Amino acid sequence: MATRLKPVDVVTIGVGLTGSLAALELVETGLKVVGLERGAGRDTVPDFQSPAIHDELRFSIRKANMQDNAKVAVTFRNNANQTALPIRRWESFLPGQGLGGAFVHWNGQSFRAQVADFIYKTHIEQRYGKKFLDACGPELTIQDWDVTYDELEPHYDRFECLLGVSGKAGNIKGQIRPGGNPFEAPRSREYPNPPMKEPYFGAIFRKGAESLGYHPYPQPSANLSRPYTNPLGLQLQACVFCGFCERYACEHYAKASPQTTILPVLLKNPNYELRTNCEVLRINLDNTRTKATGVTYVDAAGQEYEQPAELVLITAFPLNNVRTLLLSGIGKPYDPTTGEGVVGRNYTYQTTGGPTVFMDESININPFMASGANGTMIDDFGGDNFDHANLGFIGGQYVGAIMTNGRPIEFHPTPPGIPKWGLEWKRAVARHYNHTILIQQHGTSVASRLNYLDLDPTYKDAWGQPLLRMTFDFPDNDIRMSQYIADKVVEIGRAMGGKIIERGGTKRPYTTTVYQSTHNAGGAIMGTDPTTSVINRYLQCWDVPNVFSLGASAFPQNITYNYSVTIGALTYWALDSIKNKYLKSPGPLVHA
Amino acid sequence: METLKSLMANKTWCRFFAAVAAVLAPLGLLTLVQAQSQARQPDAKHGAVIAAQGTPAGAPPCAQCHAFNGASDSSGAFPRIAGQSALYLAGQLRDFAAGVRMSAIMSPIAKALSPDNVADVAAYYAGVEAPFLPLKAPDAALVKRGEALAKVGDAAKRIQACDNCHGPGGAGEPPAIPYLAGQYSQYIVFTLQMWQRDFRTNSPDAMAVIAKKLDAQDMAAVAAYYQQVRSPLAAAEAQRKD
Repeated sequence: MATRLKPVDVVTIGVGLTGSLAALELVETGLKVVGLERGAGRDTVPDFQSPAIHDELRFSIRKANMQDNAKVAVTFRNNANQTALPIRRWESFLPGQGLGGAFVHWNGQSFRAQVADFIYKTHIEQRYGKKFLDACGPELTIQDWDVTYDELEPHYDRFECLLGVSGKAGNIKGQIRPGGNPFEAPRSREYPNPPMKEPYFGAIFRKGAESLGYHPYPQPSANLSRPYTNPLGLQLQACVFCGFCERYACEHYAKASPQTTILPVLLKNPNYELRTNCEVLRINLDNTRTKATGVTYVDAAGQEYEQPAELVLITAFPLNNVRTLLLSGIGKPYDPTTGEGVVGRNYTYQTTGGPTVFMDESININPFMASGANGTMIDDFGGDNFDHANLGFIGGQYVGAIMTNGRPIEFHPTPPGIPKWGLEWKRAVARHYNHTILIQQHGTSVASRLNYLDLDPTYKDAWGQPLLRMTFDFPDNDIRMSQYIADKVVEIGRAMGGKIIERGGTKRPYTTTVYQSTHNAGGAIMGTDPTTSVINRYLQCWDVPNVFSLGASAFPQNITYNYSVTIGALTYWALDSIKNKYLKSPGPLVHA
Repeated sequence: METLKSLMANKTWCRFFAAVAAVLAPLGLLTLVQAQSQARQPDAKHGAVIAAQGTPAGAPPCAQCHAFNGASDSSGAFPRIAGQSALYLAGQLRDFAAGVRMSAIMSPIAKALSPDNVADVAAYYAGVEAPFLPLKAPDAALVKRGEALAKVGDAAKRIQACDNCHGPGGAGEPPAIPYLAGQYSQYIVFTLQMWQRDFRTNSPDAMAVIAKKLDAQDMAAVAAYYQQVRSPLAAAEAQRKD
């Protein structure tokens, strides 16, 4: 029997990036906000300190910072004819758990999306004609976002200042700036901090890419290049290039995370209450099923509570946003056979995997001196930055030498043909460890009517609720795109002086057993039409207007880039409307 | 090394070494001139001569303040440099010479050292093992507070653990990051104050930011802790000898 608690104004389901950011915006208006986090509380001191935080076995291999999939896993299959099985060991993507969420173990790669990304379908049809998309794949279901880059720009700017992003602008108000990314969407001003130092592998890539006429630039980073005090008065320190960034938490206050940029202010606010180890089971609806009355959750002791609230924000990892909607019966679940329904539709992933460039022994890379987001890259093949007219695919990838580590368990590059174990393998690792550059290809995966999320008919979580089922494989469009770029990147590898180059590029089928990207997106997408979207342009549920679903589950299809900064901008955008429109007159912000 | 170390513990022997070194100095200089090739390896023996006798260009012997074995003294004016990494020591000398690190005492001395002298003397002190002077036991509560700062940091002040960079037990992360284990508390406090007041600017930004978050009590605590702690390696070594 659930204990009914005292009503509050707002509940957030999850306290990561979106949960902490949204809560801070709302407590400052005087609302009482409760944050429900399924994982434990944690902070830079004492939880993220060395030597414990540099335990590669614990964090990289056993995934200590990730969602506890002994309790809640995700089931997976490549297509609707297969039976999905639970992913019991995270590899392909890494949903976070614990206070701060995945924004604690992220790498700090801090990009904006491009102008065309937000009007993707319109843009593609205008540039290549209406028939082009059909030729790329009749199963593709790309859409416009219903929010434009110009509308998001001030929110991008604000979020970057919160994090202290370190980078070099390539485009300020339409004026192309040397040293930055000339393909960047126009920014209102320079990054809050200068770019990080260029590592040697970045310098080698720069030289090679430049010699082929490409446009290298320093990767924008939320691992800071210098000490910085953000607008909330929180001081961050400079990154020390320790090489333990992604999958880890930062011990140095040098990586922007909820702990370093938001939570110290939020947790001091008397209007905020954080409850950790609380698993939300569902959002409760009244009998009209158009109004949420609050949420039901279970605490660490197994006690069930009902927390009434006027406004419910779903602020979990994108996959969990979708699952929460499905478990709560909000929005019509997507049916791939009819193409009807919206929740779970347009689940998208990203294409990754570039070449490995083996250099001469005289070139010492020192890969262990790295940060999660240093390095040099090009955007010449990003998004729609190149002409696709005769290529038969849409989408693109950024390409860069953006190595994050030289950690002993994970990093031991060997050329093709070397055995996977034994003496010969050991010799090859010793030969190549310090003389190898990994180049990243990282980019779009387009939405397809065949890829979706729903509730698994068989497997349940620790509380007896169905797991989320993922049905996904890369559309052929993505394979053509990735393979086309892979050829170009091999040329860059040669220009860098690579002795052996192991070609990259995405292949089918998609597998969950190799790390690729944690940028799972879509499934609860935004749009203009309630028959093809779950939420409106302010991330408000069409069917239940006092529920908002924040985060990358809102993306109609995935972008070229690492998406955290776009999530932050989108959250500020939604909160702007919640504060200035919704709270004054609760109800639908858009009438379909 | 073992013999040298035990000899060093004895002041008389130290003086003897200094005298011998003085006699050998001209020979060392000759070696230096001959070794101006590109791949010159630092000459620790010549470094010992500089430590003992200074240089003809006017640099006084390091031993006058830092002792020939690098143990210095506990006044706080002179840090312990025995076994500190050569890269770190040479870097500091260059910074003193260039005025990047300010010290009225060290700047003229460093200026009088040639680049090869710097490399040699840094190599010498990096290779010296020196005993720790017997010092009065510090206040236990102060050490405990210092240990917390060193190992865990301070959440309220947003200070990370010193050991993140300076190594477990302050053993250092050579070659770039100096040890703190066994460093004199007075010197640690003095240096933290230099960072706090922007007099010392020759390190990564990290130290100035951190020093500004520390109050006098924090500095005293962390300094008291590191003065009495021994690096795990040194502790293991001591145990082995017992």
